[in-house]
This record gives sequence, C-alpha cells and structure tokens, in this order.
Amino acid sequence: MSDRPLELIALGSVARRENENLTTAALTADEREATRAGWKLLWTSIKEERRFIMYGQIVSVGWSIGRIAIPVLVQQGIDRGIEKDGSLVVWTLLIVAAGVLSSLCLGLRRYVAFRNGRVIESRLRDRVFAHIQRLHFSFHDANATGDLMSRANTDLQNFQDVITMIPLTTGQFVLVAGAVIVMFLTHPVLALLALATLPLVNVLGRRFAQKLHPSIMGVQRESAQLATVVEETIAGVRVVKGFGAEGVRAEALRIEAEDLRHESLTASLVRSRYLPAMEIAPNLGLIAVLAYGGHLVLEGDLTVGTLISFNIYVMLLIQPLRSMGMTVANAQRAAAAGVRISQLLAVEPRIASPERPLTLPTENPLGQVEFSSVAFAYPGHEDEPVLHDLTLTIQAGESVALVGATGSGKTTLASLLPRFYDVDAGSIELDGIDVRQLDPQALRRAVSIVFEETFLFQATVFENIAFGDPDASEDQVRRAARLSGAEDFIEQLPSGYQTLVGERGLSLSGGQRQRLAIARAILADPRVLILDDATSAVDPTKEHEIRDALSEAMQSRTTIVIAHRPATIALADRVVLIDHGRVVAQGTHTELLASNQRYREVLAAEVKDANATGGDR
Amino acid sequence: MGMWFAGGTDETEKLDRQATGKVLRRTLARIRPYRAQAMRACALLVLFAMTSLAGPLLVRRAIDQGLTVGDRNVLNQSIVAYVAVAVLAYGSYRLAIATLARVGESFLRDLRTGVFGRMLQQSMPFYDRENTGVLVSRMTSDIDSLQVLVQLGLLMFVTATLLLVASVVTLIVLDPLLLVLCMMTMPFVALASIKFHRESNRAYLAVRERIGTTLSSLQEGISGVRVVQAFAREDIQIDRFAETNKGLYQTHMRSVKIGAFYLPVVELAGALSTALAVGLGGWMVRDGRMTLGTVAAFILILQTMFGPMQQLSQLFNMIQSAGASLHKLYGLLDEPLTIDSAPDAKDLPASGHVDIDNVSFEYIPGEQVLSGVSLTIDEGERIAFVGPTGAGKSTVAKLVARFYDPVDGAIRIGGVDLRDVRTDSLRRHIVVVPQEGFLFAGTVADNIRLAKPDATDADIRTALDRIGVLDLFERLPQGLDTEVQERGSRLSAGEKQLVSLARAALVDPKVLILDEATSSVDPGTEAIVEVAMESLMEGRTVIAIAHRLSTAERCDRVGVVVDGRLVELGPHDELVAADGHYTELFAAWTRGLAA
Repeated sequence: MSDRPLELIALGSVARRENENLTTAALTADEREATRAGWKLLWTSIKEERRFIMYGQIVSVGWSIGRIAIPVLVQQGIDRGIEKDGSLVVWTLLIVAAGVLSSLCLGLRRYVAFRNGRVIESRLRDRVFAHIQRLHFSFHDANATGDLMSRANTDLQNFQDVITMIPLTTGQFVLVAGAVIVMFLTHPVLALLALATLPLVNVLGRRFAQKLHPSIMGVQRESAQLATVVEETIAGVRVVKGFGAEGVRAEALRIEAEDLRHESLTASLVRSRYLPAMEIAPNLGLIAVLAYGGHLVLEGDLTVGTLISFNIYVMLLIQPLRSMGMTVANAQRAAAAGVRISQLLAVEPRIASPERPLTLPTENPLGQVEFSSVAFAYPGHEDEPVLHDLTLTIQAGESVALVGATGSGKTTLASLLPRFYDVDAGSIELDGIDVRQLDPQALRRAVSIVFEETFLFQATVFENIAFGDPDASEDQVRRAARLSGAEDFIEQLPSGYQTLVGERGLSLSGGQRQRLAIARAILADPRVLILDDATSAVDPTKEHEIRDALSEAMQSRTTIVIAHRPATIALADRVVLIDHGRVVAQGTHTELLASNQRYREVLAAEVKDANATGGDR
Repeated sequence: MGMWFAGGTDETEKLDRQATGKVLRRTLARIRPYRAQAMRACALLVLFAMTSLAGPLLVRRAIDQGLTVGDRNVLNQSIVAYVAVAVLAYGSYRLAIATLARVGESFLRDLRTGVFGRMLQQSMPFYDRENTGVLVSRMTSDIDSLQVLVQLGLLMFVTATLLLVASVVTLIVLDPLLLVLCMMTMPFVALASIKFHRESNRAYLAVRERIGTTLSSLQEGISGVRVVQAFAREDIQIDRFAETNKGLYQTHMRSVKIGAFYLPVVELAGALSTALAVGLGGWMVRDGRMTLGTVAAFILILQTMFGPMQQLSQLFNMIQSAGASLHKLYGLLDEPLTIDSAPDAKDLPASGHVDIDNVSFEYIPGEQVLSGVSLTIDEGERIAFVGPTGAGKSTVAKLVARFYDPVDGAIRIGGVDLRDVRTDSLRRHIVVVPQEGFLFAGTVADNIRLAKPDATDADIRTALDRIGVLDLFERLPQGLDTEVQERGSRLSAGEKQLVSLARAALVDPKVLILDEATSSVDPGTEAIVEVAMESLMEGRTVIAIAHRLSTAERCDRVGVVVDGRLVELGPHDELVAADGHYTELFAAWTRGLAA
C-alpha cells in the first residue's frame, strides 16, 4: 500500500477500507456520534420545511383552543343559561363556533402534517437512491440489496412518521397544558384531585409499551421461524415428496404454531393487565370530581356546570396523555432510522472524478490498453491479493482471451479497466492516459462490459438494448440486435421489441439474455469491449449463434474476452493465461495447447463443467 | 389513532354476501371447540360496555337526587357505587381480553396447522399449478393479518360496537326526543363515513400499487447498479427513479386529502351534538320537562360516543380484509386432493419389480408429454433414462414415484397398481433422490432423519456408514449435530448431495429414483459422492435420470426417450453399436469431452 499514488490519497479513496459493510460499520462506529448524526438529519429535514412545519404548529394550537373552549362554554351554558335563565342561544352558538374552529384546524392539521412527512420522505428517498447509484462497486459487494432497501424504505417511513407526528404532538401538548391551566384557575383543589390519576395513564402507557416490547419481539421471532418452515418446505417440496417427509414437516410446523400461540398469549397477558388499567384509571379522577366536587356543590362553593366541565376535561385529556407516552418511543425510532439513513449518506463514493479530468485522445488508433505492474486485493480481503505485479499490453483493435482457473483473477483484471475498483499498486492506461485521471463517466462510455450474469431491467427488449445508448435511433437499436444475433428470437417474442422482460416480465434463456447484453454493448460503441462469457452451459445447438454474435461484436475494436469455452477462445487473436494473479503464458490457442501443461489443465476443467447438459422437466 | 390502521381491502378481494356468509359459518364451526370460552368473552365484554355507561348515570342520580335537593346520602351512595362499578369494569375487561385472546390464538394455531397439513397432502400437480410465493404468503401474510385482528382489532371492534349500542339504548331510555334532536348530525356523519370508507379504500389501493412500483424500481436500481455504472447511466436512472417516487408522493397526498375532509366532519358533529344537548336540553329543563342531571348525563355520554363511531369505520376495513384472507385460506382447505388413497387401498408391497404398462401422460391437457411407454424393470436392475431436454425422461421417473398419476396405462410395483396403494406407504419402498441436496434448517442428523422420523441416532450412523461417509460427517465441528444453517450454507454442494443420499440409505428402499445433478461439485467430494452413490445402488432397483452418459454407461440398460416415446432400450454397448439416437448422443458427448 506504501506505493499508492499520491493523488489517490488526495481523492480520499483510502477512507475506511475495512468498514465497507454498513452493518458492521454501525457496530464499530462511535454510537453517540451516530445518534447525533441521526438527530441532525431530522433537524435539517425539519429546517428545510420550516414554513409548512410552522403552519402545522399554528393550526394545531387552533385545534387545541377550540377543544379547550368547549367544556368552559358548556359550564357557562349550564350555570348561566339553564340554572339562571340566561340566554341559551348564545352559549349554544359559542359551542358551535368552538366546534367549527377545532374541526377546521383538525382538517388542516391532518393535511399539513402528512404533507410535511411525505415531502421530506420523498426528498430523502431521492437523495438516498441517487447516493446508492453513485457508490462504488466494493460498497455494493459488501452490502446486501435487502439492507439498502430497508434503509430506503422502512427507515424512511419511520422517519416520515415522526415528521408527521410533530403537529399532532404540539396540539396534544397545548391541549393538556391549556386544560390544566383552565382547571387550576377555576378550582385548584378540585383540579388537583381530578388530574391526580391522569399521569397514571401516561405512566401505564409507557410501562405497557416497555413490557409489551419483548413479547412483540417474541411473536415476530416465532412468526419468522414459522415462515422459515413454510418457505423451506414449499421450496423443497420435491424433497419432501421424494422422501415422504410430509409428516415430519407438518410436525415441524405444528411446533412452531404452538410456540407462536404461546408467545402471542404472553403478549395478550400483558395487554390484559395494562389495557383495562389504562381504560379505568381516568375513572378514578371522575370519581374524585364527583366526591369532592359534589360536596362542594352541596356547600354552595361550586356550580353544577363546573362539576360537569371538570368531567369533560378529564375525558378530553385521556387520549392525548395516552399517545404522548408513545411520542418519545416514536421519536427514538425515528432517530434510529435517521442514524441508519445518515450512515448510508455518509459513505463517500470512492471512485470519483479527479478535479481536472483529462480527455481521451480521439485520433486513431483507439483502444490501446496497458496494465503495468498491477496489484489488487478486494477491500476487506487485503490479506488475499488477487493480482500481483501484473503487466499486460493490449494493442488497439486486438482481441485477447483471458484464460485461467476459477479465482485466478481474470474477471478482476477486466473490472479494473472501467475503474469498478482502483488498483492498489501499478497503473492502468487507456490510450496512454491513466484511468484515474479520466472522468469515470467518460471512461465507462469508452469501455463497455458484458457481465457474466446478464442483468435485464424491468422494461421492454428495446429499452434494455437502448440502455447502451439512450440517444440511439430505432434503426441503430435494431442493427445492434442484428449484429448480436438477437434479432431472430426478438422477432419471435409475443410483442417483438416491445416485449416486457426483467424480473416480472417474460423470462428469457441464458443465451438470449447474453445476446441482449451483447447488443447493449455494441450499441454503446465502445473503444474497448469486455466480454465475461457465461460459464453456465448454453444449449450446444445455440453455441454457434453466440459465437457468431461475439465475433461480430469484436470487429474493429479492442476486445477482452474472459473465456471458458474453447469455441470462444478460438475467436481471439491472442490468449493470455492467468494463474494466481499473474500472466503466466501468452500465445495463440494452438501454441499454448501444444506447449503449456497448465493451459491444458485449465481447459480440461472448464470443459468438464460445461458438459453437463441442461435439466429436464 | 395509531398507524397500524393503515390497512385496507382490495376492491377485487371484497367478498359478496354469499361468500361472507360461508366464511362466517365456517369460522363459527372452527371456533366450536372453544365455544364456552368465546361465549364467556362476549358476556364479559357486554358487562364491560354496561359499566362504561354507569358513570354518567350515577352522575345524573347524584345531581338530581343529591345535589339539587341537598341529600348528602344519595351523593355518597353514588360515589360508592361508582367505585364498585370501576372495579367491576376493570375485572371484566381484563378477563375478557385474556379469554378472547385464548380463543383467537387457538383458532389461528388450528388454522395454521390445518392449512399447512392440507398443503402437504397435495401432490405435485398442485405445486406445479400454484405459485410458490402465493402459497407461502397464504401461510404468512394472510394469517398474520388475521393475527393483528385477533390481537387488537377484534377486541376494539366488539368493544366499540357494544359501547355504541349501549350508549344509544341508554340515551333512548333517558329521553328519546333529545336523542333524536342531538343526533340530527348523525346522517351527515354516516354519509361521510360511507364515502370516506369507499374513497380511502380506493386511495389505499392506489397507494399500495404505487409503493409496489417504487419498491421494485428501488430494488432494480440497487441490484442493477453495476450495469448502470458500467454504462455510466447513473443520471438517467436517478431521474427515472425520482419520477416514480414523485408519483408515489402524489398518490399519498390524494389519500391524505380524503382523511383531511372526513375527520373534521366527525369532530364538528361531536361539537354540534354537545351544543344541542346544552341548548335544547337546557330549554327542556327550563320547561320542566327534564332534569338537570339528565342533561348532564346526555352531555357526558355524547362525549364518549363519537370515538367508537370513528373507530368502527376504520376497523371495518380490517375486518373485511380478514374475511378475504379467511376466504382464501378456506379455499385451500377445500382444495381437492388429486392423488389420494383409494378407500380400499393397500400398502405398497416390498418389491423392486417395476412394470410400466403403456403409460401416457400430459401436464397440461392436450399437450402429451409421454405416449405409450412400456417397460418392465426387474428387481435389482439399474436403468438409465436419457434424452434431450424436455423429451420426458424425468416424467417417466416421476410417474414411478407417483408424483403424478398416468393419464393412460398403469404403473405396477410388485404387481400392484400404484393407484391402489395407500399414499402414506409409498415412500417406504420408493425414494426419490433429487438433483440438488436440499437442506432444511436444523442439524445434519435432523436432515437425514427427515426420511424416517422414528430413526435413532444409531440408525443414522448405520445409514451413513453404509454409504461410507460416516467419518466425513463426524469430522464436522459438532459431528452429526452440526447446524446446517438456513438453506445449508455451511455444507458444500457435494456434502449436501451426500446428506440426500444418506436419507435414501436410511429408508433402505427397494426402488431408488436418482435425478442426477447437472452441475458438478468440487472434484474432491465428487469422488466420494460417486462411491456413496454406488454403494447406495447396491442391490436395489435403480431408475436414473442421466444427464451424463458416463452414468448411463454404468447401468444395466439404457432407455432413450425422444418426444415422449421410448425409442431405444438396451444395454449401453448395444445401443452405441445400433447406429440410432443413442449412437448420435454418445458421439456428441465424447466430442464435447475432447474439445
């Protein structure tokens, strides 16, 4: 590592080599630092939506005022209107007015609250996705799709929940505070008695959540175990049927179902203890109001209206107090989600453009590639270097087959040229320029790769090919399909070029997918084409078609083929044998076959792999 | 209320009246074993609902007979009664929750084991037809949605309904006229609720669909990131995703607006009814037609009435989707078995004599896969089926294993037609060793025992020893008790195949069907697998679906299946010399090896 070029260090590419995996990074990182980052993300998100957050607060206060006013107005109505023959109409209308205020504000609050949550969620999701798209290969190697998905989905939703809860929480807080103030101003002692048991609701709520949590986790754990039994059994149904293991699997499920029932009942037991208590606790306040207040009324020290209004206040406060207990837990969940999101956003894309990128020369000959003393190990596996001091020059327009046993480093070597990874030592030059001095985007337009496993997007065949060059005309796309030998089968698809493929679209065979990938690469018209030939067996009758497609694609450009089959090797001008991360022999296929024992061994192993033909129904 | 309300039903999943009735009857029948508990839970909830209304009524009594007339005794009596009612409320509610949970959870457990048991009874045509993802989701997400209902929704639904009913009854008894007047706003709330219910359902479906698209777009963006970067198309992908994400946002906002219109209606209706109770009630008091206590009770009861109403409209969605889930689950329970024991079925005889008699078969009606295949396999004979992909060579083997029943013709083992055999006795003498060694979570021993649940550890050792791999497995960290982890990630492909062979050895069957693996395993284990396979085949009738002709070479006879017909049959050497399909196949194969 000591001989790494200085500008690389300047680019910040050496950052955090071993902490590539987010999950392990989370464990090792300073927890307090991480939490702070989570809260900071929450705070900046709120600041960005300052105005609407403000509106939310205003309508929340309006709602609370309306709600607090009603019991007071009821009391006045009873005491002045009913008992003292005052105007009933005035108080009735005032109650209606208070109701109009609270309900209007409630509607607005709901709208603004969710709007804020969704705006922030949506914006963050865009940011997270864009960030993921720009993160380097080794990051993606170390992090499972599922984990990234959950950050961009579940975590964001938790985050959104809390933003949405802000006005609601404010409203409830103001409601509680306002009602308490009004009650104390009216009659401090009665207020104290009425409210004494209410904090119990809050305390019980929090205790309830705490006690319930382990059981809920238990239920989730048991559910997951049950799901595993189901998934395994159905995925392995042929085995189950083949060995007559139906009874064993039914028993396995019965045990899980029994465990799940047991865990769920434990949770219910907690519920049965706390829910009734939370439900009944406010009644103690009501009883106290009736007991003390009733005697006050008899003494003539309190009006019946006030007694009733205290009753209403107690009822009014139950709901806010109950959910305020949950607010803290929700906020903590959001902070945890914030931590996970900010962790992801904090990862620096390692493969970045230099500040002043050079441009590739445009005059012929184009596509000369030079690997000089390249050394490389995958991040996190520094003790198992894949390439050692590898030097190889490929002339413009030449086609070279890289041959080597599994794990010899041939695929790695090819993925260093488009800078999917940076070399640890040595350099790679394309047409005389170090790839690290180029803008990666420009570099990757000049170097196209056909991966071993073809990834098709959930889109039409046409769009999948056009991915190689979105500006391509229809004719160009068709031409690429023709050159790659994909045209024939495409035209036989149900909707031709407009057939939907990808995960939920029509499923294509391995060979068909590969031809689409080749078409995509041809359309990109790169100066260097890298073909990682699929190891998996292709139907022997189709082999020549793929070979034709390949040789067409190799016309007039530098090509690096990672070859497994003699047929593909034969297409190349030169064969390079790679073993344990070094070039050990070069020459034509016939020369190497005649002179190199290792070459013969490697080929024999490949042939053996490829010779098991496809499955049967 | 909480976020968990965000449930909803699929418009298409909604049940018609007839289906609803069926689901209800079926559910009641399944609850029957727990009937006593269920009745007790309901009675307790009725009691609880009644106690909730006792408060306002006691306040009324205290005001009218105590406060306004200055009677301290009545006041004190009311207070004591109130305390007693509160205790009663706590006790009844607590018991009700526990009892209801017991009934619900037992119902769910029975449903889980019942549905899964039925699935396992189904034969291969069922699994060919049904999407495995759907089957898994029946057992997981469908039953889980019922679980949420059992744990919370059902309780809330019943309580809210009872409270509402009890409130209305009480108010009618107190003063029907005032009730009618106060409830003038009710039609609006009802209309709003119905509209809200419909609209929010639609909005929910739209949101769910949008979430689906966004998630799949997200997933594609992540799993295809290498291709995106390889072609330097990050910006295009980012824009495209932003577009999808924006669509999700807009759909969310449409759904938010619906709630923003509905909630104020309920809130306003609550305030209006309170206002009317004060205004009209007050006027009636002044008129001498009503007591102050009654007005107070009215006001207090009205405060607690709108909560349950709002809850009900939300819970309704949940109940409906539970109904839909139940309908699907009952459908699975009712699914007829395609392969079942005949009433007078007998046990499979312990014989290795297989007679395939003029058998035809089709997976899809009209698309014949096998036609008129006849062949007799002697006890202890080894036969290999070869042929091009899709020609039907594995179908022959699957029919012998009775994964399917032939459409025409018969398969007899030891002279007994397989259709006359009890399905549970089949696997004592015929075992299928599938292509890949599929492992279940558990230990190595558990995985081997799969084939014979009552096997002792000693039996397992003997089985492993018989195929010569006991040492290999005992060398694992915890020997045979080593956990294989999910889907067997810790064992190599070859070791998994060995586990599979050990399962077969444990059963010690007369007929062994081998579906040869297409992919080769690591060279070290490959040799061990071959040896184990050889000792497993020793002395048994073997039907091998061969992908490698080296396997066919080692069998007594080779059957070549082309286009659903058995076109050639005989020893390897004879067929090679016969200048037919097999000669061609063999030539192509040897060429492949030499290339």
